[in-house]
Amino acid sequence: MRKPCLVGKDKQVVPEDVLSIELTMIESLDSQDVSCWIVDMSDWRKGWQKIAAIREHLSPKVYLRPVVYLHADNSMPAEISKAADGQLAHGLDNSKGLDELSSRFEATNQWIDHLPDPNAAVDANIAFKVLRLIASRNNVQEPVTTVRRKSGYVYPILEPLFSKRDEGALETLEFLEAQKLISGDFVSKAHFCSSCSSAFINFKEACPQCGSDDLNVDELVHHFRCAHMAVMSDFKRGSSMVCPKCDRELHHIGVDYDKPSIMYSCNHCSHGFQEPSIMTTCYNCGRSTEPENQHTRLIRAYSISAIGQNAASYGMEALFSKILDSELQLCSFDAFRDFYRVEAARIKRYKKSESSLVMIALRDIDKLYVRLGGRATEVFAELSTVFRTVLRLSDVITARNESIFFVIMTETSTTYAERAVERLHEGIIELLTNNLDFDPDMSSLIKPITVDMDLDQTLEAFLQS
Amino acid sequence: MIFENALDFFLRMDTAKMLAYFWPFFLLDMTRYLLLDVVVISIYSVKNWFQRDKIERARRQLYSEKPLVSLIIPGKNEGKHIPRLAESLARQTYKNIEIVIVDDGSDDDTEEICRKLEQEGKIDRFIRNEVRGGKASAANTAMRFSHGKYIVHIDADSHLAFDSVETILLPFYMDPNIGAVGGDVRVANTGDAFVTRLQGIEYMKAISTGRTVSSELGILRIIAGAHGAFRRDILNRLHGWDVGPGLDGDITLKIRKLGFRVVHEPHAVCYTNVPKTFRALAKQRFRWDRSMVRFRVRKHRDILLMNSNFSILNFLASAENIFFNLVLDFKWWIYIIQIVLFNPSVLEYIFLINLILYMLANYLEFLVACALLHSSMRRRDFFLVLYIPLVPIYTGIYLRIVRTYAYIMEFLHGASYMDKWNPWKVSRVVKREKL
Repeated sequence: MRKPCLVGKDKQVVPEDVLSIELTMIESLDSQDVSCWIVDMSDWRKGWQKIAAIREHLSPKVYLRPVVYLHADNSMPAEISKAADGQLAHGLDNSKGLDELSSRFEATNQWIDHLPDPNAAVDANIAFKVLRLIASRNNVQEPVTTVRRKSGYVYPILEPLFSKRDEGALETLEFLEAQKLISGDFVSKAHFCSSCSSAFINFKEACPQCGSDDLNVDELVHHFRCAHMAVMSDFKRGSSMVCPKCDRELHHIGVDYDKPSIMYSCNHCSHGFQEPSIMTTCYNCGRSTEPENQHTRLIRAYSISAIGQNAASYGMEALFSKILDSELQLCSFDAFRDFYRVEAARIKRYKKSESSLVMIALRDIDKLYVRLGGRATEVFAELSTVFRTVLRLSDVITARNESIFFVIMTETSTTYAERAVERLHEGIIELLTNNLDFDPDMSSLIKPITVDMDLDQTLEAFLQS
Repeated sequence: MIFENALDFFLRMDTAKMLAYFWPFFLLDMTRYLLLDVVVISIYSVKNWFQRDKIERARRQLYSEKPLVSLIIPGKNEGKHIPRLAESLARQTYKNIEIVIVDDGSDDDTEEICRKLEQEGKIDRFIRNEVRGGKASAANTAMRFSHGKYIVHIDADSHLAFDSVETILLPFYMDPNIGAVGGDVRVANTGDAFVTRLQGIEYMKAISTGRTVSSELGILRIIAGAHGAFRRDILNRLHGWDVGPGLDGDITLKIRKLGFRVVHEPHAVCYTNVPKTFRALAKQRFRWDRSMVRFRVRKHRDILLMNSNFSILNFLASAENIFFNLVLDFKWWIYIIQIVLFNPSVLEYIFLINLILYMLANYLEFLVACALLHSSMRRRDFFLVLYIPLVPIYTGIYLRIVRTYAYIMEFLHGASYMDKWNPWKVSRVVKREKL
C-alpha cells in the first residue's frame, strides 16, 4: 500500500501512515511507495517552490507523482491553487482521508509504474515531461487566465514545469498538438506581442492622420426641422439642447431630433473622422503597432491523444531527426558502425585517400520548439536544408538523439571536413541567429578514419566533452 | 395633303389672325425663350471676349491665393457612381481640394466602396450617418466637417470635366459680391435611352442657355445641386441647407436675399446621370415642380412683397419663374380650350403648325446652345439635333402634363410634404410647422 509523503516536514508532527522527506533528499526515497507528495501551503510561496522542484525533477517517478496541498488557503492565486492534484482538507491526522487520497491517485501511480524502466529514466526534454504529465492525469488541461505570467494564460498542472521561465507552456502545447500527440478544443483567442509574446496589450483608438490617441468622441445630432447637423456639444446650452441654426429647443429624440452617427476629433491635429485606427501597445516591451502585426493565438483545452498516450509511455520521436531523416536518409547507429568499419578497412587497404568522422552537437534544439511551438516544424525543415546543402550524397549520417549527429565524410580530409563543418555552422547561425535571434550552442569534433580508432570510445569522449 | 392644307391655312392668315391662333408661341415662348436668348447670349459672348484679360487675372489670383476648396458629396445608395466621380475629381486642374462624402444611411454597398476609397486616399473624408436624415442634413454634415474657403456641392451620380472646379471658382475672383456660382449640368448618359437624349437637348436649352441668360439678366433663381459653388462664410451665415425637396433653389434665394449675386458659369461642366425611363423622369419632375410652388409661392413669397428688403432683381427672379412656369402652364389649357371651342374645324392644322413652329424654335435654340457651348461639347452632343422634331411633344405635352399635375397636387394637398425623398420623421415636422 502506497503512502502519502510530506515534503519538508519542518516542525510538523507526522503520523505513522504518512511518509516524510526533505526536498533535497527526495531522490533517495523509493518513490514507488509514495502515493502523492504532500506540500504544506500555509506559506504558499515557499510551498510553490517545493512543487516547482518536484515537477522539475528529471525522474518521472518523482515529477509525475500527484501533489496534494496541505493547509491551502484562499490567498494564493487561482492558477496555483489549481496546480495541485488535490487538497487535504482535514490535515495529516485524518487517516481515512489519507487512504482515500492514496486510492484516488492509484490510477495515475499505476500509469507511472508501467513506464518502461522508470527508475533509470531521465526526462530532460520539457515537451516530453509535459506530454507525460498530461498522459498520466488523463484529463483535460484547461487554461486559466493570470496576470502573473506575461502569456496571460497558464495550465495549472503544467505550471510548475515552467516556474523558472515566463514562457513556453503555450508553445510547447502547440508543438505537441502539431505532432498530434495531444488534441486541443477551442477556448478563446488572444493577441500576443509579436516582439516579446506578452499577452498584455493595450488596444486603443488613434487618429488615422497623426496617430495620436488623444481623441474626443462626440455624437452627431440632426435637427429635423431645419436639417442642421452638428456635434452634440454645438447644441448644448446649459442643461438643455438648443439648435444653433433655428434657435429652437430640442426636446425628444426621435421626435424632433436624432443622433445618426458619431464623430471623432483629434486633439492633436484637429482631424475629424469616423473610423479611428486601432493601435496596440505592449505593456511589457512598450512596442506599438497595428493589431494585424501582433500575433494571434488560439487558446485551447488539451487532452492526450492515442498517439500521445503511446509516445508518453515509450518515448517521443525527435521531430528534428525525423525531418532530417526525410531529407538525408539517416541510417541507424548499427548501420553507421558497419559503414565505419568498412570505410576504415578500405582506407587501410588502398592507402590512397582519407575519410573523416565528424561529430556534431547542436544543443538547445529542443528550446526551439518551446519557443516556436507549431512553427518549429518549418524551422527544422530549413535546418535540414542547411544540412543537405553542406553534406554530400556519399556521406553517411546518423543521429544519436535530436542534438547529436555523426557523419562519415568519405574521401574527405579533415581539412575539407573542417570547411564543411564551418559552412554548416555558418548556415545554422544565419538561419537561427540572424532570422530568429536564437543563439544555438554548436560544437564539433573531426577525426580521420583509421582502423586503430575505436568508434564507440571516440564518440563517448565527444559526448562527455 | 394635311401639310399642304395646313400651310395654305397658315399663309392665308393676316398678322392679327396669326396672333389670335398662335399667341402662346409668338407673344410668349418665342419672345422669352428664343429672341431673348439670342440677344442675351450674343451680348454675353461679346462681353466675354472683351473680358478675356479679366478672366485671366481672376485665374492668376485664384492660383496665387490657392484657397482650400471643399467638394462635398451627399448621397444615399450612390456607391456605384462614387469611384468615377472620385476619379474625375483627382484629375482636376485645381488641386487644393478636399473631398468629403456623406452617406445618408445607405442600405447598399456604398459604405464599403467609400471606406475603401478613403483608405486609398482617393477621398479625404467619408462620413456615414447610420440613420437617413435627408439630403439637406447630409449636405450640412459635409459642410460641418469640411474646411475649405469655398464649398462645391456635387451630386453623387455626377462627375466633373477636368477643369470644372477651377472654372467655377473664377467668378468669385471677378466680383467680390458673388455669393454662389452654378455649374453647367449636362447629361452624362445621353446614349442610354431615347428619353435621356431628349433630356440631353432639354438640359442644353434650359440649363446651359437658360441659366446663362437668367444669370446675365441678374435673375438666376437656382444653383443646381449637381454642381454649385458657394462661399463658406455665406453658407455659415445661413447654417447650410434647409429641408428639401428643392433645397438648391431654396438656398439660392436665401443667398440672393442676403444681397449677394448668384451667377451661372456655363463652362464649369458637370455631367450627371438622368432618369432612363419616362416613368422615373415623371417622378423626378413631379418632385422638382412641386418644390416651385412650395418654395417660390409659399416659403419665399416675401420676395414678391414691397418691404424694407425689397429687391427688384430678386422680385423678377421669383416672379419670372412663377409667371413662366406656373401661370403660363395654365395658359396652355386656356389656349387648348379656346381652340377646341372656337376653332374645332381647324384643330389639326393648328396643332400641326404649332408643332412646326416649336420645332423650328427648338432648332434655333439648339443652335444658340451650340454657339455658347461648342468648346466643351462632346461629339455625340451634336447628334442630338436628330431628336429635335420630337422635343415639342416631350416638353409641350409630356412635361406639361407632369408639371400641371404637380402644381395641382402641391396647391391642393401639399404633396411635397409627403414625398419619400425625405424621411417621414422630417416631413412630419416640416409639414406641421408649414416650412
